[in-house]
This record gives sequence, C-alpha cells and structure tokens, in this order.
Amino acid sequence: MNPAQKHKESEYLEVFQEVTRLISSVHDPQQVMDLVVLKLPKLMAVDAATIRLLDKATDSFVLGAACGVSDTYLSRATIDSREVMEELMKGRPTAKKDVHIKCDHDSYSYVTREGVKSAMSLPILYKNEVTGILRLLTRDSRKFSEEEIGFAMSLAEQVGVAISNSRMFQELENQVRFLSELREISRLVNSTLDLEVILQTIVNKLPQTLGLKGCTIRLLHPATNRLELAAASGLSETYLKRGSISRESSLFKVLKGEPVAIFDASNDPRVEYHDEIRREGIKSILAVPIKNESEIIGVLRLLTDVPRSFSEAEINFAVTMAEEGGNAIEKARTYRKITLLFNQIEEHEQFLQTILDSLWLQVLVVDPNQRVVMVNRVFLETCGNKEEQILGQLYEDIVPWRHRDMADCPVSKALAEKKALAILDYLQGDDVNEARWYERHLTPIVSTEGNVSFVIEAVRDITDQKLLEQEKMERMKLEGVVEMAGTAAHQINSPLFAALGTAQLVRDDLVSKESIEDIDFIIKNIKTIADLTNKMTKVTGFESRQYVGNTNIVKLKSKKSS
Amino acid sequence: MARILVLDDVLDAVILIEKILTRKGHDIQTFTAEEDAIKHAESNRIDLAILDIKLKKMSGIQVLEQLKKLQPKMKAIMLTGYPTIESAQEAIELGAKEYCVKPIDKQELEEKVAEVLAR
Repeated sequence: MNPAQKHKESEYLEVFQEVTRLISSVHDPQQVMDLVVLKLPKLMAVDAATIRLLDKATDSFVLGAACGVSDTYLSRATIDSREVMEELMKGRPTAKKDVHIKCDHDSYSYVTREGVKSAMSLPILYKNEVTGILRLLTRDSRKFSEEEIGFAMSLAEQVGVAISNSRMFQELENQVRFLSELREISRLVNSTLDLEVILQTIVNKLPQTLGLKGCTIRLLHPATNRLELAAASGLSETYLKRGSISRESSLFKVLKGEPVAIFDASNDPRVEYHDEIRREGIKSILAVPIKNESEIIGVLRLLTDVPRSFSEAEINFAVTMAEEGGNAIEKARTYRKITLLFNQIEEHEQFLQTILDSLWLQVLVVDPNQRVVMVNRVFLETCGNKEEQILGQLYEDIVPWRHRDMADCPVSKALAEKKALAILDYLQGDDVNEARWYERHLTPIVSTEGNVSFVIEAVRDITDQKLLEQEKMERMKLEGVVEMAGTAAHQINSPLFAALGTAQLVRDDLVSKESIEDIDFIIKNIKTIADLTNKMTKVTGFESRQYVGNTNIVKLKSKKSS
Repeated sequence: MARILVLDDVLDAVILIEKILTRKGHDIQTFTAEEDAIKHAESNRIDLAILDIKLKKMSGIQVLEQLKKLQPKMKAIMLTGYPTIESAQEAIELGAKEYCVKPIDKQELEEKVAEVLAR
C-alpha cells in the first residue's frame, strides 16, 4: 500500500468514525437521515445526498431526507433508470458518470435542469433486506472509484443500521407512549355511554397522541350500509363536505379489515379528491377499520400535514384504538337503542295509562296470585285511595264488590277456567238510596304457554241506567194502568149512564116516599160508581198496596177535575 | 119542540136519552149505526145532534163533520165515556156546543139541551 492509499484509507476511517459517531448520538430516524444527508456531501466531496425509504405498502421509495438538490428535482416521478433500480433492489450499488447525457428515463429534464452529472446509488440494507436508498450526486462529471463505492456502501450499511436502530428505539418509545395513551383513551371512551362524547374523544385525542393534522370517524349506517361521517377534528368544513368517498379503493380494503397507509395522499390513486387534499394541506393518510368484535362498523382515518410513513407501531396503535373505540361505540349504540326502547315503552305505558284513565270504567289488572298490579284513575277516585295503597294488595282486600266466599270470586273463576265472564253485581250502601249496580267483565290474558298471566277486570257503574230502566218500566206500567182504567171507564160509563138516567126517570114517576128513598139510594150508589169511573179516566199514577197474601191492589192517583 | 138526532153504539143509552128528551116535548130520532144517522140527516132537518164519540165504525167527531156538511146550522152535543183534551178540542172546532162526560145526570142533560137550543 503506497502512502497515498494509506492516506486515503486514513481519511475513510475518519469519515467512517465521524458518521458512526454522529448517527449513534441520535435516536430519531428522521434526525439520523437529516444528519447523514447534511454531513455526507462534505465528507464524501459530493454536491448532494438523498435518502429514500422503501414504503412496503406501495412498494415504492419515499423521500426520507435530502440536501443539496431542489424540491423540484426531488419531486420527479422516476428516481433512476430501471436498470439502476433493479440493481439496488438486489442490494448492489451503482455509480454512473454523465447521467445527464446517458439518461434514458422520463425524469431526464429534471436531471439536466438540476445539473446532476454523476450519481452513486446505494442500497440501504438491514439484515440483508433493502430498506431504502442513499444517493450521492455531483454536478461535475466524476467517475466514482471502486474504493469510494465500497466505502460509501459501508457507510450506507451503517446508515441502514442506524435508521433501523433508531426506528426500533422510536418504536419502543412510541409503544410505551401508545400503551399509556391507549389506556387513557380507553378509560375515557369507556367512562361514558354517550356516543357523541366517545366519537369526539377519539378524534380529539388521536391527533395529539400521533402528531396528526386531523382525524375522521365514518360509521356504517346499519340500515343503508353506507359510510357516514360521525366525527372529525382538525379539518375544514369544505374538506369534510368534498363529496362521497365510498368509491375510494383504499376504503374497500379497509372495509375488508386491513389498514391502509398512504404516503403521498395528493397523488395516490387509492384516494380521490386530490385537489381538495392538496388544498387542505394533507400529506399522508392512515385508514384503519373500526371493529366491534369481528364486525366492521366504520373507518378511522388519520391525516398528517407532513409526509409520513406510518410505522408498524403507529398502525398497530391506530388499529387497537379503532377496535377499542369500536367496542365503546357499539356499547353506546346499544345503550342508545335500549334507552330509545325504554323511552318507547314508557311512552306506550303512558299512552295506555292515559287511555285507561280516560275510560269511565274502573279497570283493575290482577296477577295469578290475585294481587292487584294495575288500576286506573277512575278506580282510585271511586274507592278514594292512592295508587301506592292499592298496588300489590290482595284483590279481595281492596275491591268494594268483594265476595266473602272466595270460592265464588270471579277472579278465581277466570284464573281457573281461563274464560272471560260477565257479572251483574248489586252493592247495597249504608243508605238505601246509595245502592249501586255494577256490570263487571273479567278477561283472562292467556300466555302462549297456556297460563293465565293476568286477569283484567272492567267495572261499569250502571246504577243510572238501572234507575232509568226502572223508571221506564214504571212508566210503561202506568201507561198500561191508565189505558186499562180509561177503557174500563168508557165501557162502564154508557151502561151506567143508562142505569142512572132510567133510575132518575123512574124517580120522577114515584109518589111513595119509601120508594123514592129506595130509588135515591140506587141513584146515590150509581153516582159513586160514576165518580170512580171519572177518576179512572184521569189517572196520573198509582201506588201498589198489599191486599191479601201475595195479592196487591193499586191505589189510583188522579189529577183534580177542573 | 126541536128535532133531535141521537147516535150512540149502546142501545140502552139512546133509549134513555129518547125517554128523557121526549118528556121535554122534543122530536127524537135515535140511531146506533153511523150510516143510518147520516142517511137520516140527508133528508130531514135536524136542530140538534147528540153524538157519542166512540161509535162502531167511525168516531163521533167524523160523524159530526159529515152532519155539519149536510146541515151547517145544526147544533151538537158530544158525549163521551173517556174524555180527552184532543177529542174535546176537535169537537169544539167542528162546532159542537157542549162536550159532556158520561154518565151525565138527567137534569144536567135536560139543562144542556135547553141551553144549546136556546143559543
């Protein structure tokens, strides 16, 4: 080895030590990459350095760090020729001189504009797998020596190890933080059954934890099975109302249960609305399914405002969080459904109670143990008790129409025979005038198993109706009596008239005092009969009186003759 | 002396009225059938008709209506064994002068007849 070679090796060693020292001092992969691209050009005497990392999701290289080249150059679609890329993927370095002349790919114009003339492309390996590429660029035409390539390769390996180590370190750090955050968010979402609070907690907390721009939750509507925006944070109304995303291919994958990470959202074909994404300043998206057990109930989308390759730990955290959230959401939905059902039941109960209370009937519901489980307002008002005094009491203890002999109790009968029955009941009060009549209908409610669940008793006070019937009957009797009396009077009056007149004619012809007295006696009695028939024609009422034994006679009441 | 038509479905009643009023010097024609009474009125002047309300086929009110058509100046006394406000009102409207309830006293009958004829 000549002195020049020795000097060169010594320089390499120094550079190697310097790079190793630098990259060992930081634990953030981004810092590692930034440091490498910043320091390497000077150490390697090149104009620019770039690091790109392999995005396994899209099988493409995404920019990790760069120094010495413009953003326009970095934004070109093709990194290098297919030949170079194939070599890199095989883990082999390439070095090319005069790339501005021999360039055969579609990013030629970018290369010439940037003035890049030589490029060394090195695979960044970790455990024999390509995890990225390191490129060293010069603006002068330079042929890289084998030694330079070999040295750069060993540097790239070091970079690969450093990036992976720092990634692992960061992953571990993140995982510890994620666990803590997961516990905190889980505690929050499980401490409430309010769906809105749960959703808002997730969309507010996740951006803080993962350093995101915003977050959205879309839930599948159970009826339509369409995704509907349920909660969002960090995003403008204009963006949120950009239109339906149901046709985005990324969503199909998410709805099948797989998370989807999109590095370059404004250009990635798996999402739509690229202009809106650009305007909103969104760079990367992570979409994960929201699951409740094995069922997918929605999609959680995490959006960043800086390009970001989501780590496995971040993705796992998001997936776990979405699952945790999914369970809480489903619990809240179930609670909401139960609350809704409960309210509906309450409304129905109130509706039924209102109907029952509006009835003029007294209504009681009795269970198979003959305890009263429900009564309506009319019953309570009639018996003068409060509901709490009645409910749970034995039927026979609270009803005014109770039968002393419970064997005859109609509730027992309805329970035993499982048949409806109707009873006409008479209840004598303390006062004669307080007598009441009741019409009682008892209906057993028979379950599908054939058992009587309840007996409903509807009691109608028919006293007024009964009194009316009695009055009507009295009136009909009176009408019969009046007609009968009138007819009898009419039939009697003509012969009576003949008898009275004849007697009076005879009297005119008599001379004997004794005979006149006799005929006057006859006339007097005929007139008594005449008074009676006259009274019969003016009957307004009658009074039944006992005659002999079971026989009754009537005493006629007449209006006074005018 | 007046020409008096007596119509009652009870034969004994018409015989009695005939006896009472004949003694008072009136010319009495008695009938128990409505059509006979109406037929008689078609060809004979009648000063007073004494009609029972309840007859065999027609009512005394209906007979009175027909007799009044034949002899508008004829006076009438209605008799009834079963007085009602409706029958009394109708009889008065048809021109009956008196409405008497059976059994009418002999003296009362004589007075009513005299009174009606005197009007």
